[in-house]
Amino acid sequence: MSKWIKNGFIIIALLILVFSFTPSYTSLSIDNLAYVVAIGIDKGEKEAYKVTFQFTTGTSGQSSEQNPSIINSVEASSIDIAINLMNAYISKELNLSHCKVIVFSEEVAVEGISDFIYTFINHAQLRPSTNIIISRTTALSYIENTEPILESLVTKYYDVFPNSSKYTGYVSNVTIGEFYNALVCDTCEPFGILGGVSTGKVDQTFKSGNDFYVRSMETNFVGEQGSENLGLAVFKEDKLVGELNAIETLCLSLVRNQVDSFLISVPNPDNEDEKIDISINNRNLTSKVEIINGTPFITINGKLKGFIYSMTENDNYANTSILEKISESVNFHLENLLTQYLYKTSTVFHSDINGFGKQAASLFLTLPEFESYNWLDNYQYATFQVNMEAEIQTGTMITTS
Amino acid sequence: MHTSKIGTMEAIMILLTIVATHTVLSLPKTLLSVTKSATVLNIIYISILALLLVIFIVRLFKKFPGMDLLDISEYLAGSFFKKVLGILFISYFIVSSSILLRNFCECLKIVYFPDTDLLFLIVLFIVAICIANRLSFTATLKTNLLVIPIVLVSVVFLFLANFRNFTFERMYPILGDGFWNTFVTGIGNISAFGGIAYLYFLPPLLKKPEQYKKIAITSVMITGIYLLLTVATILFMFSFFITEEEIMPLFSAARYIEFGTFFQRLESIFLLIWISAFCCYLSVVMKFSVHILQKITLLKDTNILIPCIGLSMLAITLFPENYAISKFYENTIYRYFVWDFVLFSNILILILANFKRRKKVGEIHE
Repeated sequence: MSKWIKNGFIIIALLILVFSFTPSYTSLSIDNLAYVVAIGIDKGEKEAYKVTFQFTTGTSGQSSEQNPSIINSVEASSIDIAINLMNAYISKELNLSHCKVIVFSEEVAVEGISDFIYTFINHAQLRPSTNIIISRTTALSYIENTEPILESLVTKYYDVFPNSSKYTGYVSNVTIGEFYNALVCDTCEPFGILGGVSTGKVDQTFKSGNDFYVRSMETNFVGEQGSENLGLAVFKEDKLVGELNAIETLCLSLVRNQVDSFLISVPNPDNEDEKIDISINNRNLTSKVEIINGTPFITINGKLKGFIYSMTENDNYANTSILEKISESVNFHLENLLTQYLYKTSTVFHSDINGFGKQAASLFLTLPEFESYNWLDNYQYATFQVNMEAEIQTGTMITTS
Repeated sequence: MHTSKIGTMEAIMILLTIVATHTVLSLPKTLLSVTKSATVLNIIYISILALLLVIFIVRLFKKFPGMDLLDISEYLAGSFFKKVLGILFISYFIVSSSILLRNFCECLKIVYFPDTDLLFLIVLFIVAICIANRLSFTATLKTNLLVIPIVLVSVVFLFLANFRNFTFERMYPILGDGFWNTFVTGIGNISAFGGIAYLYFLPPLLKKPEQYKKIAITSVMITGIYLLLTVATILFMFSFFITEEEIMPLFSAARYIEFGTFFQRLESIFLLIWISAFCCYLSVVMKFSVHILQKITLLKDTNILIPCIGLSMLAITLFPENYAISKFYENTIYRYFVWDFVLFSNILILILANFKRRKKVGEIHE
């Protein structure tokens, strides 16, 4: 009899526990959830913000047809209220665990986005790997125009588009985790991916020979893909203060050692009108921060190895002296580019997006000493010295033509 | 409890259970908030101090072979003092573990069970440990022996998998808030070695009492390395844990682990491991509480004590009005508890008992 009572007690206890967890399971059931893949934040007309949610239909598989996404917007005074209103509108609970990108319009970003960042970071569902995009057009327009041409799923596109940062350096894989880290730290400043909508025609202001100076919405692309991500949006604290074009973004990636290989175009030492394309696939940049007379002095030393990509008739890249000349041209070109970029971050943006402050901290013994120096304010007075040492080798298949 | 003795490895794992569970919650954050960027330096420093401290404790126990702190306190000041000390230890064990359980369940609720009543989560743990304690102590010891190494390996994995996210410069300025704060005020971080409390009760329970010193030193050394890895992971990854409050810093770090687009969201595995570690920790705490209670009440049947302690834990777990209060206990009061009670008061008892013994031996020789 006691055995029956014991077993009965165990069964009742198990049933109570099983049913007690039902509310959480019900709320997390796939049937009751709407998975958000992108969130866009614009200024609202009636309310403070217009929040756009992009959903997938939930169908998957190997279908070659594109899975259409659903885009809904709502005006609200805060992101949480917008989520709540959208919950009611679509009759499902929004789930952010598969959210891949958060898009802010420039209009919102210039006013400061720290409240949004804190709210999103506070959200247990949102991944720290979610990308932050600052759109030069409205966030709604960016999301509406994001129609991947080589992927069937928009989520897949959001997953893979930052990967080009590793081999072009023209965009950086900026996540909300990194953004938040930079926002709260006192040694660096945050930045986001610069996005926009393709105009579908070559920008008329575009000058010949400036093909590395493109940025979102000022490009020379003509294609079917609506949105484009080129360059970076620079922040001072939580406010947008400027933009970097593709080549400046490459400079940032170089300084932060975040690019594996990249292509640059340098003047041909034998003919200034011609350009040589060089692929750099081995780079080692080190930076040294000193404080001289109360002013930051930053030295960048780089060792690069690359090979010549472009080939024209009568070229002889098997000649050592020609290669040395090209190496010098690369050094000069990169030193120039990096110096211009670094001074732009300090004198124009006053924003240490390169994170030199982390090294500056090692010059101080205690935090109060470092805090009283106020690195982020002193960065604008920084002086830079860039030394490059490139070793350019002959091309891949043809060495002489 | 008396029928099953504890092996050397099992004893080491018992002591490691304590630090393993505390680090899952806010211990790394607490350490970081005290010594900031100097925490890595501070951990090395307090690990050396903790090592010297346990060598000293082992030395103090040397004169009392086969006796635990309760026996020694009885020798020092009689059975009443033993009972008072026993009650204080039970209170310390139950209160600290209950508050830790409450905080852990609060975090579980936030992350995975948003609509489940907190009570059910807590009851699940309490029921599990009550059942575990009804079984022999060997069951808890063997489970501990299995789970704790996995926890240790998981922390090493967490450190290595996040290596690419590290910014080593975050350990600068090397002295944090200054020399005084790192090496004098920072001694308070020794509360991270709260597992020392269980060292006081181990001597009579060991299979090989001669290994007591080895157990103490090994566990402190592993605890030091474990703390160093966890704190380094948090410090090198995040700039905000020094200033901001975020639940479960190690869970936050686990969320960053990704191997391509296929292996993601590994934090669920970590949480599963940590839940197992929590069950082990609570079982150990209950076992020791029952052991002490039995020792001071001289009860023969310990089974009756298990539901009593389980219910006490449940009551204390539900006592804090909100998460802020229970977190305050874990971050602030617990530190002083370890300092004043576990370390200072009990070492004083051991020193006084040693003096008394020396005096008695001296009188006999005279």
